[in-house]
Amino acid sequence: MKTKRFLSASAGVAMISAAALVLSGCSADGGANAPEQTDSGGKITVWVDPPRVPAAEAFQEAHPEIEIDVVQIDGTVGGQTVKQAFANFDSAGSGWPDAIFFPSNDDIAWATGAASNYAADLTDLLPDVIDGYDPAVLSFCDIDGQIRCLRNDAAPDVFWYNKAFFDENGYTLPTTWEGYGDLAVQIAAEHPDKISGFLGDAYAVNRYLQAADCPTNDRLSESEVHINLDDPNCVRANELLTQMYEGGALTTQGIFDGDAAAAGVNLVMSPGAVWWGNYLFRDTWKIPAEQMSASAPLTWEGESSPTAGNEGGGLWGVSSHITGKQLENTLTFATFVATDPAWQVELSTGLPGYGPIQDAWLEKLEADGYFADVAGVQQAFKDAAGAVAPYSYMLYDTGAAWTETVSPTLIADGSISDALSTFGTELVNRANSVGYTVTAE
Amino acid sequence: MSSSTLATKRTEPPAAGGRASTTPRRHRTRHAESRGAWILLAPYLALFLVAAAIPIGYAFWIALQKAPTLVNPASGFGGLDSFITVITDYRFSGTFINIFSVMIVWLPLMMLGIVGLALLVHASPGRFGSTMRFFYFIPGALSGIANFVLWVYLLHPTQSPLAPLWQEVGFGSLKEIVTDGNMPMILTGMLFFQGVGTWIIVVNGGLNGIPDEIFEAAKIDGANAWDLAWHIKLPLIRPWIGYAALMNLAYGFQLFLEPYLLRQISSGAIAGEWAPTQLGYAFAFTNRNFPAAAALSIILLVITLSIGVVIVMKSGLFGDEKEKKR
Repeated sequence: MKTKRFLSASAGVAMISAAALVLSGCSADGGANAPEQTDSGGKITVWVDPPRVPAAEAFQEAHPEIEIDVVQIDGTVGGQTVKQAFANFDSAGSGWPDAIFFPSNDDIAWATGAASNYAADLTDLLPDVIDGYDPAVLSFCDIDGQIRCLRNDAAPDVFWYNKAFFDENGYTLPTTWEGYGDLAVQIAAEHPDKISGFLGDAYAVNRYLQAADCPTNDRLSESEVHINLDDPNCVRANELLTQMYEGGALTTQGIFDGDAAAAGVNLVMSPGAVWWGNYLFRDTWKIPAEQMSASAPLTWEGESSPTAGNEGGGLWGVSSHITGKQLENTLTFATFVATDPAWQVELSTGLPGYGPIQDAWLEKLEADGYFADVAGVQQAFKDAAGAVAPYSYMLYDTGAAWTETVSPTLIADGSISDALSTFGTELVNRANSVGYTVTAE
Repeated sequence: MSSSTLATKRTEPPAAGGRASTTPRRHRTRHAESRGAWILLAPYLALFLVAAAIPIGYAFWIALQKAPTLVNPASGFGGLDSFITVITDYRFSGTFINIFSVMIVWLPLMMLGIVGLALLVHASPGRFGSTMRFFYFIPGALSGIANFVLWVYLLHPTQSPLAPLWQEVGFGSLKEIVTDGNMPMILTGMLFFQGVGTWIIVVNGGLNGIPDEIFEAAKIDGANAWDLAWHIKLPLIRPWIGYAALMNLAYGFQLFLEPYLLRQISSGAIAGEWAPTQLGYAFAFTNRNFPAAAALSIILLVITLSIGVVIVMKSGLFGDEKEKKR
């Protein structure tokens, strides 16, 4: 789970970064020569975003023998400050943290790219930890056969709905995407203040396009990508969104918008990540207990199994530039934050990515008593991971391309088709700009 | 982005009536004078070297390098390739259209506001004038982040004191207010209130430098307040107006923080590469193409420097014309 911090960048940061533009070129070609691995003798430095600070604190408590520097970083999804720092570290050939919680999942693309190569291959370093993951959950870390990161939490989309509202009005829960579209329009007509989805955040692209298996992030190789918004899989998402948007069932706001809570309390159903339950419904939008519930992801008509998107579910990376005792301690840290119940079960709001502790976390839902149908929610969470459609994080920021094009086009009175076409053009431009060869096939 | 303009920002406008020695002195005195001048200049020159000349030279050198790409991680000499990369980028012209669309609204208003209000303050004697001067300065004191936070509240469709107005026009969410189409107006508001107070003080300083005898002579000739402002004060403060225009124009080309933060409050609805400086930032840190980032810095430097030279020439900013006339 990621949080969107309001005004997280300070004036100073922006000014310094602007000035750094010129200065940071100091050794623009330095990144090519990988420096040797170093060993501090044991002390480690870790970078975490604000929601992961408790993870680092739990580690300090469990491992007082390891000297650790915890640095809190800007956790904005799609933020640029961490990218900027790493561009400078890679140029200078020093300065990297030993472990990091990547603020955006897209970060794994540059962290494993030839220009940086920061993230260590963990395949042989942490084989036991890797064995504990469902390969579907760890698929985002699997870059060309190497496991380059550990998943903090699993974030597959389930189908969220307001059970109290459904019971009161006698609506039947949809099981297909097409059924979701029809019901959304019906509810919007009968209850004009209710909505059935958010379009304006960076994860909406995962919620709808990834869930339709639309090729926006289809990685063919390190330098080739397949993008085609005219693919039949994209067309079905386009039709669904058009139907719902024209029927008044969708808002152009995003789930992280500062003023989204007013719309959020009127959400009656939507695909959404497992962390929506605690993070959005309970903590951010303050929807009362025993209303919201979740069911398994939806299926497209004519297909036999459900398909879902995935929204975040953060990634832990370990530096490839360290060795010896420093590496050993860093691996202890990575293992702790990925697998230890002291963080994953007791403190984390997201479903653990690491398999063996998922049940312990799911049991806590009973004690919490927040969801309307706890058993149904637990089952939906378990089933969802296997439904996630394939998706690779790329050097271009798909979510940013989405937020810059889709809601602005709709607000300027464009249609969903206009919005998706603008989005597709922006995506191809971005992919070309960072150096990919884009194919439509 | 270009630290050169940051450095020049610190320099004060030259005094209009700088009195150069008129009679030739002995060679020795001149020698001492010029040594004194160099000593006084030295701190500025040192800062200029560190903050402007060396980075600019370095940017030139970097811009001529070849950036490693995904396919070819090797780098080396690239000639003008990075300039071609910048100019042919799909966002390049858009970023300039964006800042021009702001400047075409903001700069005329800003200059009218600065000069008009400064003349009014100067024409209001005693306590009223100084009270107004302080009053105008307040928004300027709320610079940077404080001014920005103020504007976030003003723009907020439900929490703003202007909320009834926003709702009347049909804006229900921040995303509907902070759009590409509204950016020129929003930025004009932010930049105007942030800068106008400070600049009124600066131009007012210029007005205070005009000797009273000139006004007395004009009054004896029958000039009223309007004649004084239009025929006497305005021509005499032309260098200050030129200086204000130059600095504000330079600020317009360096816009970074405002669109960067407006993108955040609109949750990404404003492009991350809205202004040229942001495009440079993206070249450096998203594309890892430092040569292209340096090339864009140089393009911006050339533009602002050219405009600066024109303004300096036209406004007599360095006072040469005035000396000749006397």
